[in-house]
Amino acid sequence: MANAPEDSTDKALEDVFYPADRVPFVDWDEFSGAKPTVVLTGVVTFLAFVTGLSNLSQTPLVLDGPLSAAVDLPLAFVRFGGVLFAFVLGLVTVGLQRRKRLAWRVASVVFLGLVLLPLATFQPTDIPLLVLTLVTYPLLVRNRHRFDQSLGLSPIQIASLSAIFGVVLYGTVGAYGLRGQFLELDSWGDAVYYVIVTIATVGYGDITPMTAEARWFSLSIILFGTGAFTVAVGALIGPAIESRMATAFGVMTASELTLLEDHIVVLGYGDVTASLLEELGDETEVVVVTPDEETVASLQGEGVNLLTGDPTDEGILRDARVGTASGVVVGSNDDARDVLAVIATKNVNPDIRIVAAATDEKHVEKFRTVGADEVINPRSIGGRLLGQSVLGGGQTESLLDGRGPRDEAGGTDDSE
Amino acid sequence: MATSDASGIAELVGRLLVPLCAASGALVLAGFFFPTLVGDAVTGPAWLTIALVFFSSGLCYIALLPYSEDNAEPAAADVLLRVRRTDIRQAVRGFLTQHEPAILAFPVLVFAAFFGLQIAFPARTTSAVDAAAATVLRDAGPLFLAAVFLSVCYCLVLLLGPWGDIKLGGPDTEPSYTYPTYFTLVFTAGIAAGLVFWGPTEALFHYDQPPPYVGTAPQSPGAVTGALTYTLFHWGLSAWSAYAVIGVPIAYFAFTRDAPLRVSTVLAPVLGVDGLDSVWATLVDILAVFATIGGIATSVALVSEQFLAGINYQWDVAAGDIGPVLFVGGLTLIFVVSSVTGIHRGIRRIAGLNVVLFGLFALLIVAVGPRSFIISRGTQAIGVYVLEFVPLSLHTGGEWVAEWTVWNWSWWFSWAPFAGLFVAALSRGRRVRTVVFTTVVATSAATMVWFLLLGGTSLFVQRTGQADILAVIAQRGGSEAVAGFPLFASLPLGQLLMFLFLALIVVFITTSADTSTLVVSVLATRRGFAPSVTHIAFWGVFQGAVAVSVLLLGGAETLQALAVLTGGPFAVISLVAAGGLTVTWYRDERGHTSVVRRVLDRLPHVQTHHDVDPPDEK
Repeated sequence: MANAPEDSTDKALEDVFYPADRVPFVDWDEFSGAKPTVVLTGVVTFLAFVTGLSNLSQTPLVLDGPLSAAVDLPLAFVRFGGVLFAFVLGLVTVGLQRRKRLAWRVASVVFLGLVLLPLATFQPTDIPLLVLTLVTYPLLVRNRHRFDQSLGLSPIQIASLSAIFGVVLYGTVGAYGLRGQFLELDSWGDAVYYVIVTIATVGYGDITPMTAEARWFSLSIILFGTGAFTVAVGALIGPAIESRMATAFGVMTASELTLLEDHIVVLGYGDVTASLLEELGDETEVVVVTPDEETVASLQGEGVNLLTGDPTDEGILRDARVGTASGVVVGSNDDARDVLAVIATKNVNPDIRIVAAATDEKHVEKFRTVGADEVINPRSIGGRLLGQSVLGGGQTESLLDGRGPRDEAGGTDDSE
Repeated sequence: MATSDASGIAELVGRLLVPLCAASGALVLAGFFFPTLVGDAVTGPAWLTIALVFFSSGLCYIALLPYSEDNAEPAAADVLLRVRRTDIRQAVRGFLTQHEPAILAFPVLVFAAFFGLQIAFPARTTSAVDAAAATVLRDAGPLFLAAVFLSVCYCLVLLLGPWGDIKLGGPDTEPSYTYPTYFTLVFTAGIAAGLVFWGPTEALFHYDQPPPYVGTAPQSPGAVTGALTYTLFHWGLSAWSAYAVIGVPIAYFAFTRDAPLRVSTVLAPVLGVDGLDSVWATLVDILAVFATIGGIATSVALVSEQFLAGINYQWDVAAGDIGPVLFVGGLTLIFVVSSVTGIHRGIRRIAGLNVVLFGLFALLIVAVGPRSFIISRGTQAIGVYVLEFVPLSLHTGGEWVAEWTVWNWSWWFSWAPFAGLFVAALSRGRRVRTVVFTTVVATSAATMVWFLLLGGTSLFVQRTGQADILAVIAQRGGSEAVAGFPLFASLPLGQLLMFLFLALIVVFITTSADTSTLVVSVLATRRGFAPSVTHIAFWGVFQGAVAVSVLLLGGAETLQALAVLTGGPFAVISLVAAGGLTVTWYRDERGHTSVVRRVLDRLPHVQTHHDVDPPDEK
């Protein structure tokens, strides 16, 4: 590592004008995957919210867009639409981030609705939203296959959600049917309003049942509605808390695992793993798979994803998403199990790059035979460095510092 | 190494920029979306500052983002240590030894002398330069017209003729830049913010005072087509062909004959590749550096003044005396960062942003502008342009042509050395035909569409009386800086168009200045060395310093006239180069197939005589 600036002089002119073999206009891969789609949807959500707020703050709201000339959009829709769409889109963004199919479907409908708003008002403040929506939509369509996870609701969640839906439907139809027996309940809108106010236990009291029949009916809504509401809250939020608990105990939940992509899977925990994790650092997401619960406990809070399980088990490897990982490092202290882990990895994903650390030098070839792309024997490297260090005096100090990172960096880059 | 030093510093700066960009961006967003709530709480100059801080920090940040193929950047802490260890004297010596002494000294001395004269005898300097400029533009007018016309003809020959097939750098060389990148870089480097200012204005000027060639009554309906035609002529094929005739010879000799990649290589056919060490070659390089710095620095200064004048007109925000200086300082920071980070990072990304904004703006104009008027008058103007291209090019009549056409050609030629060299550098691995097509046809198509859209819209607005732009211009002393604002105010989405318009000005001047900085530092370093970060930063700051001095001391127009006058020598040089290249190719490059021949070969042979076989051609 030279410090003097003169050394840069031999840098050829080549570097100035041809810094890379190929300089594309935009790195499409970087901007067209599922992740950018999710990020862009998030930005659209934010913009929709801000634009909606901006529309709310403008009095009077001017409708001079090309759409307003053709269709008569209700003013309320334009006024509140942005903010309401933003809330829906917020949920959708979370769903998209988990690659949910349903979220994709909702997004593709909501986006269409979202385009209507700027076209109706056509104020300068709306154009960013319009442009960004038009940019995000093709990405959404292009990446449709990436959002393939089913919602995966448990039976109790499905039951409670449909119970709420059923009660609202029952309440609305019933209240409208009994409208003569209610004070100030005249329309379908009033009926929906009454049911929701009742289920949410707000009960303003502006609409009141006047007859015994209506009172019984109201009581039934309160009982079933609040019941279903409470059960739904428990059923929907409970699993989230469970997953937090599970993470706290070092087990990743299935939904967290499905998000992994281009990550590094580390199979087994051995002498070299700690420095390996340090080296990988924040550059990429790492999943450590180890059967040892004590190791898992000691790694808590280190910012590493942990999966407790046997790394020689194909099922566990599938859980760790070896199929979409960018590379696998095998490096426990037990070479025999490591060889099994390499074979298991090859079974799950034959194309993946596997780097193995052989504890014993004579096992290096065996790792190669079973399909490891790169085999490193940490001990022999360490011994060689020790030798160079004693011969080369102070110079190898920097060599030692520089050596590790550069080798590792090269390794991870190749595997991407 | 210096590069890793730079990337470490870049990382540090990047970390500082993020909060700055985020904070100012949040304010700008708040002001944009809630003008009634937030907008009035902050004063005009404060808005201007916040918006510019947001924009410039954003541009610097995207320039500094690492390129995906650059590996393992050192941590910022390492760099701090290393910077402290670096010896200043050693650094200065290293900097000086890598410079070509003449090219370093001459421009610095000339600019110093100019500013000395400007301080000592401002009136006499201005009048002397103006007189010289007037004489040259009047007397050498036919020369410029001929040079430009011959350039266009030469480009046509290259495009259609057999030599278009020559691949720069041998048959196996692959281009480093994908085609969209190539077009974007060429287009944004070669044209300054002038395009943005003159877009709505030039056609109006010609409508107000029709060129003698058109000869219609001022502001008459007939003047519309003539005005649009002349605008197309001034910004179309003729203008862009100046870059190609300088760029193609440099590229050919640099990539197939191992000549150095400098402007003087354009003389290789005359001096020979070995003769490029001679005084003449150095003189050409010095002149190129002078023309580039003079041209870019004055453009930066003038554009900054116009930018602030426009803002002053529209929002009544006075920037004061220090405003333009701060503005130029900010611009300098952006283009230095952009050129230091290199073609693949800063220059490419800002150029990409530039083209995206340009396209977006054009689309918005299409959406809100008078489409049918533009289409009907635009097609007429294009028709007249195509049919009367030769008489237009050769029309030498009088004062008007000297003031507009010849001045314009001289200006394009004064930019040709740096733009041509840049085109040459990017063109490695491309065919001559592609180079000419991109630098002349594609770029001029983009500019012509722009001028038709904006010029057509402003003519429409002026004619229908939606806004009296000409009155506004006259009221501001004929300044083209304000024309855009009354125009956009009369259109839907006017505010947004104004913001985009101002953003485009900043981005366009940045993309030209960062390229010119890079090219000047390549020219100023010794043969065989690549410019280090220090070099690039030095020349960037030097350009910024010239711009600031021009603003402080006055005489921007004078210096610009001086820089534009260097277009004269380059007009001659380009003709010599084109001639020399033709001789070389006539001698050495045979057996290429022209496009015309290929098209003819594709046509089905209707009647092939059996006893007279067509010559066996591939």
